[in-house]
Amino acid sequence: MQRSVSSLSLSPSVKMKLVNAGFQFTADLLHLKPLQLSKEASLTQQEALEVLQTVRREGGGGDEGGGGGGAAAAAASASLTALELLQKEEEMKSIVTFSSQLDAALGGGLPVGKTTEICGAPGVGKTQLCLQLAVDVQVPQCFGGVGGQVVYIDTEGSFLLQRVVDIAAAAVQHCSLLVEDDEQRVAMETFTVETILSNMFLVRCHDYVELLAEVHLLPDFLSEHPRVRLLVIDSVAFPFRQHFDDLSQRTRLLNGLAQQLIAMATGHGIAVAMTNQMTTRLSGGGQSQLVPALGESWGHAPTIRLLLHWAGSRRMAAIFKSPDHRGATVQYQITSEGFRDAGQSEQPPSKRPRTQSVEPAGSQRDASR
Amino acid sequence: MVVLREGMCPGLDEDLVRDLRAADIKTVEDVVSSDIEELAQRCSVSYKALFAIRRVLLAQHTAFPVSGADLYEELLSSTAILSTGNPSLDKLLDSGLYTGEITELSGGPGSGKSQVCFGVAVHISYHLKQSVIFIDTTGGLTASRLLQMLQAETSNTEEQVSVGGGSVKAVIVDSVSAVISPLLGGKQNEGMSLMIQVAGVLKTMAKDFNVAALVTNHVTRSGSGELQPGLGVSWSHIPRTRILLERVERATPVSHSSMRSATLIKSSRQPCHIKEEFDLQWGSRSKEASSGKRKLDETDSG
Repeated sequence: MQRSVSSLSLSPSVKMKLVNAGFQFTADLLHLKPLQLSKEASLTQQEALEVLQTVRREGGGGDEGGGGGGAAAAAASASLTALELLQKEEEMKSIVTFSSQLDAALGGGLPVGKTTEICGAPGVGKTQLCLQLAVDVQVPQCFGGVGGQVVYIDTEGSFLLQRVVDIAAAAVQHCSLLVEDDEQRVAMETFTVETILSNMFLVRCHDYVELLAEVHLLPDFLSEHPRVRLLVIDSVAFPFRQHFDDLSQRTRLLNGLAQQLIAMATGHGIAVAMTNQMTTRLSGGGQSQLVPALGESWGHAPTIRLLLHWAGSRRMAAIFKSPDHRGATVQYQITSEGFRDAGQSEQPPSKRPRTQSVEPAGSQRDASR
Repeated sequence: MVVLREGMCPGLDEDLVRDLRAADIKTVEDVVSSDIEELAQRCSVSYKALFAIRRVLLAQHTAFPVSGADLYEELLSSTAILSTGNPSLDKLLDSGLYTGEITELSGGPGSGKSQVCFGVAVHISYHLKQSVIFIDTTGGLTASRLLQMLQAETSNTEEQVSVGGGSVKAVIVDSVSAVISPLLGGKQNEGMSLMIQVAGVLKTMAKDFNVAALVTNHVTRSGSGELQPGLGVSWSHIPRTRILLERVERATPVSHSSMRSATLIKSSRQPCHIKEEFDLQWGSRSKEASSGKRKLDETDSG
């Protein structure tokens, strides 16, 4: 199937001249020299050169390309059978979150090669989870981790170095208690707080233009640093919720950003974690609901969506959208060591007061009988 | 407006093209609509050669009418209906996906579009023994989920390996809006034409190769606040059948029910706005567990 000339990104007058000269498809233009084209379509030399460059850049790859359909594809993606994809997936690991319940619900942790969005109200623990993931991605492979570096893009200014040091120290201590054989002992020598901090690449973006530029430049950075396994953007909502007059432009920019992130995740084999804020949506009957920000179409962008919310005084994490795991809600807590399972330190004290309060009531009832 | 080029048909060589162009005959339309005798005299070319060229060009570039009976016979022999594996969806689609047509599945995030696509792919490759081409633009294709669904159908690993094998009968694109919606709107003039081109490719492919095309689309909120499929009115004419998937709203906003409701919003075979509710787990459970209560128990243990 051929691509029509009117779909190229050229100025309308040039397109008109091309169509009037009888050129309908880009295939007609491929074999022409600029001089020939300028004579036949009565274009200037400069315009003819520009047309041919556009055609070669956009149309040439698509005509011969693989699985991408008719439109332009810079590198035609090769098609895989499902069996090959399964084998590739089994080699990809997940990044543990150190909360075993959440890891179980996610099937091992945050999957590498996919984009995950973490939404939640302020203070529920999104940045804490991001900092935990930035440390966890560096856990050596002999301990079951991924052993990679991390690029941390901070748009809110919420990256606190002292907190990272605490989380890193706790992770190092946790792993050193698990050392069983020589390989792990050797790995522990390179897994210290200093090396953890030196494997984090921190970028501070102040507005959406800087964020988009950074994401645009990332593929080159990732090619130079093949050990990067995680990209954290905290948060993606903050720069896009200020001073945006044209909401349709915002939607377009966000969709383009989402596609770039997905391409990076699958092309370079990294996990992408983004945080999002919550906003209130008023539905018909005057009821209001707390929903993730950035609009309806952004909801389609991340592959996996985690919703962190409060249930009374407990913090809950819900898997809202995932291609290969059922929705589930687990409880977690934030301790001085970082993001952990809820419960071990909390449950015993809470049990005792409950039993204490039950007994007097029971004894009173007995007394009244 | 097709420009005359040498080699377009036997007898049309470079000299002839040059002579014709000198006589101001540049396109196929000019050749076909001009008087052959006069043209032969003006260009000093043989009448017979021009006549033969004209005949070949006409045959190449004209559309010939087909009788309705022949068309019906052809449709009966070539169209196949592929069941989706989900009886509720099949009821909405009038027994399944029709080859030669585009069917669209739209829904909000987490409404189950990708899951339905996986289910259709597994069903076609396992039960119908045909091949499926799955084009994924969202990064959501996980082979382990396909394996899970396949394992629910058969626990025999030999059978699992030998699925498919027939010709390609379905092309599933998940999702078509993820790559096209960044191109629409604003100052980008070519986005709309690219979208229509993708639609044209899909339709021609579906017709020429006798495959069923299933695409997914995102949703947006209309002015009055209700959900509608994305990509606008121009896209809405492309698919023959459109289904909107929604989560079934229960009490708490973060409930994890796997019930979904499908509404038929465009169809040339069934009355519109009929709704069906179904359980997303149909892809990962055996056919015996049909009562609602047992499903709840199984979610605790599964």
